[in-house]
Amino acid sequence: MDAVMQAELKRLFETKLNRAMRLYLETCTHCGVCVEACHVWQSMPESKYTAVGRAEIVRKVFLKYFSLEGRIAPWAGETIELDDVAVERFYDAAYSCTGCRRCMVYCPFGIDTQQIMSIAKLLLVGADKEPKLLSMLADMSIAKGEDVESSSAGFAEAIANLEPQVEALYPTPAGRKTIPLGVQKADVMFVGLSGAHSIVPAAAILNAAGINWTLSSFEAVNFGAFMGDPKRTKAIAQRIVAEAERLQAKRVAIVECGTAYRVMKYQTGEHSFETVAFVELIAKYLKGGMIRLRRNVDKRLTYHDPCQVARNGGIYEAPRFVISKLAQDFVELTPNREYNWCCGGGGGLIAMGELEFRMKSSRVKMEQVKATGAGAICTICENCHTQLTDLNAHYDMGLDVHSLTMLAAHALVKPGEKA
Amino acid sequence: MADYEIKKTLDYKGLACPMPIVKTSMEMPKIAVGDVVEILSTDPGSIADFPAWARTTGQAVLEVKQEPGLIRIYVKRQK
Repeated sequence: MDAVMQAELKRLFETKLNRAMRLYLETCTHCGVCVEACHVWQSMPESKYTAVGRAEIVRKVFLKYFSLEGRIAPWAGETIELDDVAVERFYDAAYSCTGCRRCMVYCPFGIDTQQIMSIAKLLLVGADKEPKLLSMLADMSIAKGEDVESSSAGFAEAIANLEPQVEALYPTPAGRKTIPLGVQKADVMFVGLSGAHSIVPAAAILNAAGINWTLSSFEAVNFGAFMGDPKRTKAIAQRIVAEAERLQAKRVAIVECGTAYRVMKYQTGEHSFETVAFVELIAKYLKGGMIRLRRNVDKRLTYHDPCQVARNGGIYEAPRFVISKLAQDFVELTPNREYNWCCGGGGGLIAMGELEFRMKSSRVKMEQVKATGAGAICTICENCHTQLTDLNAHYDMGLDVHSLTMLAAHALVKPGEKA
Repeated sequence: MADYEIKKTLDYKGLACPMPIVKTSMEMPKIAVGDVVEILSTDPGSIADFPAWARTTGQAVLEVKQEPGLIRIYVKRQK
């Protein structure tokens, strides 16, 4: 690494050093409480897979260049030179962490290892060493935002082709469009993932509730957040913010995608619209009597709290309320809510592939689910759903893996039907 | 009638975003520069994803065709 690159990486490092980050970097007493909190360490007990082990790599670079002690007497403590070897270690640390923040719940000082890893990820971007798949996907998302018009007619046709699937779940009330696009002043702008599996069930539920809604032109997922690049994260989120503001939407409902929800809700500032997770709307419509569901899940059902929606987003009860209307036999995972084990698929690992690592590092998740005796599991995050599906196949768990929105859409009581 | 020869068809029906793009980008090194591949997708997002991906990676989308339940995208490897 030449001096120019090292100076640039130091500059990037310094951009992350706000008061909270300095606290995280200066406070750790190496008590070790975080060690057992990490699902990766629980499944693969090596010190490099502990929260403190990952953070130490960044912390030692911090000590060398940004602490008084390091600047006066760099030989006195354990410090690391910011060089190519350090960058390689950043990669191993940052991309073996799913950013679930379970360690933060247990840390007596509340040290946020995901935030510390955001330094490592940013420096990887600066050194052009980030996972290229993630930057390719992030750049694609940004390019879509820059030229949405050129594909709008084709997108409208593709969406119209989905409408029969929506009608099969719930007949659209007369005078309404089955999947509306570009509606001004809608009560809800739904931001899906691009697949039919995310758009169709949400459309059926919104139509059943009689909501004035519109579908966003963009997918919710934010690959910039996975790669820890604040500029790309903002550019991707801004596509949706600009669309919602242009359409004067009252509420932006984010599909089952934990990262997308957390970015839009907590990391993009104040907006003219309210941001909600779609499950919150399902619960609201149920409580208001706007939709009714059949209790049609026969197998013992359990629920996985996605880290970015639950522990990092505060949504615990809405999904449980919806499940209470669907399941005949519900069993909680142990532990659950903010203490739930990460599925092991976050932080960009699903998009990157990494199947072998994801399966090995999530053995504890597999054991947690198996202990419930459930025959089915549902969740409200696409990443978690994919990871649970892969775990189910890899460990031959014999589960049905469901999206909660999909379960609810298939349980909608149609006009004239009895619940 | 399109004036290009399809060298390979990549069947990504049933896959959701970003997998059609991920898998196509992984196939690109196996395709000769100048050759055209046909991608089959059922993901509505592919309509906008592929042109945006091509613009940022230097490839070319020659054509996008739709029929109910199927999207055909024709990509030429440029580099």
